[in-house]
Amino acid sequence: MDIFIQLTLNGLIAGSIYALVALGFNLSYGTMRFFDLGYSALIAVGGYTVFFLSRQIGLPLPISILIGTIMAGIAGYIIYLLVYVPLRKRKASNMALLVASLGIFTVIQAVIGIFFSSQFRTLSGPVDAERIFHVFGGSITRIQVIILGTSIVVMFALAIIFRFTTFGKSIRAIGDSEEVSKIVGINTSRIIGYVLFIGSAIAGLVGILVGFDTGITPTMGFSLLLKGVVASIIGGVGNVYGGVVGALFLGLIENYGIWHISTEWKDAIAFGLLILFLYFRPQGIFRK
Amino acid sequence: MAYLAHLGILISIFVMLSMSLNLVVGYTGLLSVTHVAFFGIGAYATAILLTMTDIGFFTSVVVGIIAALTSSFLIGLILSKFDDDFYALASLGFNIIVFSIFLNLQSVTGGPFGISGIDRPELFGFIFTSNVSFLALTLIALVALYFLSHFIVNSSFGRVIKAIRDDEKALQIFGYRTHYYKLTIFMISAGMAAVAGSFFASYITFIDPSSFAATESVFILSMVILGGLADNKGAALGAATIILLPEFLRFVGMPSDIAAQMRQVIYGLLLIVLMIYRPQGFLGKYRL
Repeated sequence: MDIFIQLTLNGLIAGSIYALVALGFNLSYGTMRFFDLGYSALIAVGGYTVFFLSRQIGLPLPISILIGTIMAGIAGYIIYLLVYVPLRKRKASNMALLVASLGIFTVIQAVIGIFFSSQFRTLSGPVDAERIFHVFGGSITRIQVIILGTSIVVMFALAIIFRFTTFGKSIRAIGDSEEVSKIVGINTSRIIGYVLFIGSAIAGLVGILVGFDTGITPTMGFSLLLKGVVASIIGGVGNVYGGVVGALFLGLIENYGIWHISTEWKDAIAFGLLILFLYFRPQGIFRK
Repeated sequence: MAYLAHLGILISIFVMLSMSLNLVVGYTGLLSVTHVAFFGIGAYATAILLTMTDIGFFTSVVVGIIAALTSSFLIGLILSKFDDDFYALASLGFNIIVFSIFLNLQSVTGGPFGISGIDRPELFGFIFTSNVSFLALTLIALVALYFLSHFIVNSSFGRVIKAIRDDEKALQIFGYRTHYYKLTIFMISAGMAAVAGSFFASYITFIDPSSFAATESVFILSMVILGGLADNKGAALGAATIILLPEFLRFVGMPSDIAAQMRQVIYGLLLIVLMIYRPQGFLGKYRL
């Protein structure tokens, strides 16, 4: 029974990381309608900014985390201005956008690799006295509690923005039809810019959290993003709430899956699930 | 001379890969991100057969082709349902599953340590040990594959796949079962990649899973896009450029680990710039 509880806990923690990634990814997919793989590089941007500021320069942790999150957001915004705006102006196809976003990922991870080497690093101190909590016979570290808390806060914050602000309504309008939104006077390119800033900041936050929980490498974002995409597809791509449910589902399945099969097969389980969903229910759990 | 032959062999192997991927991406317009999975299947078939049994290289090539055809048939059945970005995503998922099989099925593939001590090909008692003789053999295979793909794209079958790229719906209305065509060209391309894989394993004499990760598929894809979609000479040019780039950087005097990262920076930037200004690549005939 203990192992079941532990796996559930691990599944929820993995799920909440995937949920954050899926949230950010769905924000960008919901407005720009293409698979933005460059998003994965911003995860590493967040992690490495904190690594640089707190471990190499010695700034206090809260400030580094704040700057790391904002840096990822700014990086996302700059990428939007330099790459996606010109591409969208030329009416580039989804595939061209996808390939360009792969280019962005390749460039950013390589630049990070040049400055920080591609070795595995960790953000938490050597003997950070990682506190461990016990819940129903399972154990969970302090950083994992923070991960759970952060994802819940971000989810609610986004839900409130979406539902109650004009900004949120414009985002949803752009998601329905960018053309019509322009006609009714929404400055779509500015709104998309803001959306990408928020999405990228969430990506940065993910990188920081994962950096404290396990560690950072320049390519860390790619597999996380793919998991986020799988989660979004399970939940219905572009559907913000669906992505969260899909993420928790994916996290739990992955972790229950390794109960009987060994851990290394986690990725295979996740992408097997992706192909099954794409084949039998490409619209996800929630869309009709 | 041996060094030039070495470059020649590498370029030929990667031209086989980019040319075969071009059949799917350039001529049929399906963004497949799983090409190195079949490259790997061919490589592992040769590696396993040459180290564990005493059947020759050429038989192992045939076995590799059959293995690639079978697996591409199974996954192709699913993939043929999709197009555009969902095709890209589902194929990427398949690449990750195959990679995790290479990595985790230790009893067969040697896991992360890979397989070493793979023999060079032997024909009627002559062993292709020297680089020059191996280059000659590789070139023969390359020319054969070049004419095969030249024949395919200029046949009536080739006209159908190009029509699928341009307008799949219209073709379905004319009564073509486009799924079968998409499946067939995908399998042909996979079989050709397996041949490249066999040569790769036998030439390097050591393989491990890292050569067959999903990011390597992106690498091959960028060769095709760089050189030119739907143009065999373009695919060759793209492969040669990307293989020679790090060698060039080394001549300039860059340390090799930085050169590896610089190569990624350069080809990432190339992808971005091409997508904005020339989405069909240097020599390409089809815009992504």
